[in-house]
Amino acid sequence: MDFQPNGDQQAIQEAVEALLARHAGAERAIALAAKGETDGELEAALAEAGYRDLALGPETGPLEAALVVEAVSRAAGLVSAGASLLVAPMLLGEAAPGPVALAAGDEPVPLRFGAHAPTLLVARGDEAFRVDLTPADREPVPSNFGYPMGRVRADVRAKGRSLGAGSGPRLRAWWRVALALEAAGSMRAALALTVDYVQRRRQFGRPIGSFQAVQHRLAECEVLVSGAHWLALEAAFHGADPERSALAAAHALEAAGRVFHDTHQFTGAMGFTLEHDLHVHTMRLQALRLELGGLGSHRVAASRARWVGTA
Amino acid sequence: MEFGWSEEEERFRQDLRAFLDEELPPNWEEIAAGGPGSDEQVRFCRSFCPRLAERGWLTQHWPREWGGLDASPWRHAILGEEMWARGEPRGPQYMNVNWIGPAIMRFGTEEQKAELLPPIARGEALWCQGFSEPEAGSDLAALRTAAVREGEVYRVNGSKIWTSYANHAERCFLLVRTDPASRRQRGISVLLMPMDLAGIEVREIPSVVGDRYFHEVFLNDVEVPVSCRLGPEDEGWAVVTYALQYERVGAARYARAARILDRLAEEARRRGRLDDPRLLERLGEARAACEAARLLTYRVIDMRAHGAPPSADSQLARVAGTLAERRVADLALELFGPESLAYGSPGAQHFRAAMTAGVAVGATEIQLNLIASRILGLPRE
Repeated sequence: MDFQPNGDQQAIQEAVEALLARHAGAERAIALAAKGETDGELEAALAEAGYRDLALGPETGPLEAALVVEAVSRAAGLVSAGASLLVAPMLLGEAAPGPVALAAGDEPVPLRFGAHAPTLLVARGDEAFRVDLTPADREPVPSNFGYPMGRVRADVRAKGRSLGAGSGPRLRAWWRVALALEAAGSMRAALALTVDYVQRRRQFGRPIGSFQAVQHRLAECEVLVSGAHWLALEAAFHGADPERSALAAAHALEAAGRVFHDTHQFTGAMGFTLEHDLHVHTMRLQALRLELGGLGSHRVAASRARWVGTA
Repeated sequence: MEFGWSEEEERFRQDLRAFLDEELPPNWEEIAAGGPGSDEQVRFCRSFCPRLAERGWLTQHWPREWGGLDASPWRHAILGEEMWARGEPRGPQYMNVNWIGPAIMRFGTEEQKAELLPPIARGEALWCQGFSEPEAGSDLAALRTAAVREGEVYRVNGSKIWTSYANHAERCFLLVRTDPASRRQRGISVLLMPMDLAGIEVREIPSVVGDRYFHEVFLNDVEVPVSCRLGPEDEGWAVVTYALQYERVGAARYARAARILDRLAEEARRRGRLDDPRLLERLGEARAACEAARLLTYRVIDMRAHGAPPSADSQLARVAGTLAERRVADLALELFGPESLAYGSPGAQHFRAAMTAGVAVGATEIQLNLIASRILGLPRE
């Protein structure tokens, strides 16, 4: 048990922060989102730096990949970090190029990166399927939930290759870890922006962050966000075991609902404008809350894994 | 960064569980139901703690000089988890080993150490904590109990309230004001007061939490020898701050909450309700809260293991623990439905075990204040 990063982990964290300082950030995300694009440059930079192979490296594993996924999310990187750096390598045993989209079942709902991903992973019952997509298979869906969305044609999904018995639960478990990490990153960024805002914004002759009513709610958010962070990392370390991954997603996405409303509350109307960066992080939280059956399904999955014996 | 237990730690946990299986009597559940301050549990801890001490486990995290094994904070955390998950068979003695002993080691005279540490290490000492007063609860620095120096004794007058275990304890870790002209944190001293001195009166405050849970301690002209003072006169606040850092994550209440939750799930299975998605959702929600509290507590233990100075991170752990306990408490009542209304029923007992979470050992609001100022850096009101 050791909560401090070792030398290698620290080096990875510092390197990825430096890379993200050049290739990510809310401003970039806003500009790309306006055009409905993903961040090809960031995608290439992450690939070149070897982060796609981190989860399967000889000296590194899913925990190191998890640290990168959370960092990318915190920096508002507009790439499919969780699916590309963690879920795909752990499922496929190899890196997948380009954005990766994830789907649960066959409903043709909007998917994150669904209009851009050359690779789609579908969880269907006990099996997961890999579907290679061409531009003709995908259709963009306009959305302001912080990620480029797209639908994949139903007949195309059916053509996927099975990844074998048991791959369905495995995909769901890693997906939940990725959701928890991405939510933890977005929440951390949203909370930091809000804490900064309430220190500078003055009303009634004092910073609004000096009011105890504001402080207590933000302090509770801090408790929830810190818990989400450690639960997600622990689940990654333990290879996305079904209970831990579902608990990590359940806690993070419950916290996400709370953090959304409190950060927007204290940032006032300003937080809803495109002038302020808050929405970049918070709107994503709502998108994450809707994936893979949503909060309730993560909670049920956790209980089944612990007390019923099925995930 | 890694989140696994070493083989040695895993083995220790298994050994502990085997030990508890062997040592806890068949009617342990009944004994534990009364809470750590009940007569039955206190009687039990007097025989249980010495056996824990024989194994070297009771004070394993203490230095060898005082009967410890220099064990890591992680090993002590495992012990705490296993004890709380079983209803804390150490009774009130968990306080001795977690923070009273360490405070004596840090601030005590050689005589105090030689007199007071060995009985704690042998599992024979019962202490209570004389902090809160009728007019000094969350605002602890407002305390007024006065100790006036008269030669080799302090003459103590005042009263303490909410004092758990006062009816059984032989000693009290007592906060007093030694400088009557002082205000707030200055002028406070710590007295390690024997509870059998003349002028001490203990009265139970009946409550819905449990029998003999709260007490008021009246101090009328109690003559406490000056040799009982811990640390320098008027500088007791530093002693308290040090002790509280150990106290705040010392009790693994999240482990008890998680254990109760396992029981609730077991009960739901017996009633054929474990296929009800709504119930599974509630269980999953509460379990996630318990796990978050566990990891935030581990984070504090990790900082201690790395020798980092104490920080407000322990407040994060405390608040998360309170959120977890409340969820488990509510679920306990609801799962058993109106049967919970019967005194001593499982629902009532589980609820009672968790209902004081936000108040016991410091109100949640104070913890939130500390998180806001020390972690978020928000300006004071």
